[in-house]
Amino acid sequence: MAADRRDGRAGQDVLRRVGEASVLILISLADRPRHGYALIQDIKELAGVELGPGTLYGALDRLERLGLIESLPADDRRHPYRITAPGAAALRVHLDSLERVSAAGRLRLRLGGI
Amino acid sequence: MDRSLSTRLVGAVLRCYPAHWRRRHGDEAAELAALLIGDGTPAASIALSYLAGAARERLTPRPGRRLSTAACALLVTACSLGVSAALLASTVPARAASTSQTSGRAHCRPGPAEPIPGVIGAMDRPQVIIWEAVHGRSC
Repeated sequence: MAADRRDGRAGQDVLRRVGEASVLILISLADRPRHGYALIQDIKELAGVELGPGTLYGALDRLERLGLIESLPADDRRHPYRITAPGAAALRVHLDSLERVSAAGRLRLRLGGI
Repeated sequence: MDRSLSTRLVGAVLRCYPAHWRRRHGDEAAELAALLIGDGTPAASIALSYLAGAARERLTPRPGRRLSTAACALLVTACSLGVSAALLASTVPARAASTSQTSGRAHCRPGPAEPIPGVIGAMDRPQVIIWEAVHGRSC
């Protein structure tokens, strides 16, 4: 049941309250593992958001505690992080939810003629 | 800012993190800061970000710390309850002493109570009933 809550199998959007930085990190890790510096660069390119290193490590710790990402063995001093299966499921649920909200917003703008 | 000064500044800020965090991320965080400074990010903004992160890290309750927080809360509650009880206990005897003189007369004591001048003699009934009739109390 705890796993259900974590990975979004129960259909709940567990990423709603984790903050934008955590969602961006999960999106960045969705295709392959990355370490801190690569994450900052990728998120800057992907979303135009410059994550501060303090924010990055706070979000990484939180996501790791939630079991949504895991750290891989360090190469040199850098720890690459990888999205877990529950993390991917949670991200999918969150993106679906965003899409629904986005579609509703566009529809209302059209209906309002704005 | 001079590169060595930047490194020292970031190093000083990283020492604000708890030890367990530094063991886990310390080296990597210092290296990341060096890379970002190399890219042209101002050292002050990196230091500020780490400082905010350190504050968050220290203020956010962690699973292990939650138990000790709960224990502290329980201890504080127990102490305040103890102090309240002690204060209450110190005031109760005084209040009891002050009320016992009046209530002692009011309740149904079979023995002779203090006579009410002018009433007992006229009615010639047990004093307790007279008292009830006068004050509207019952036992």
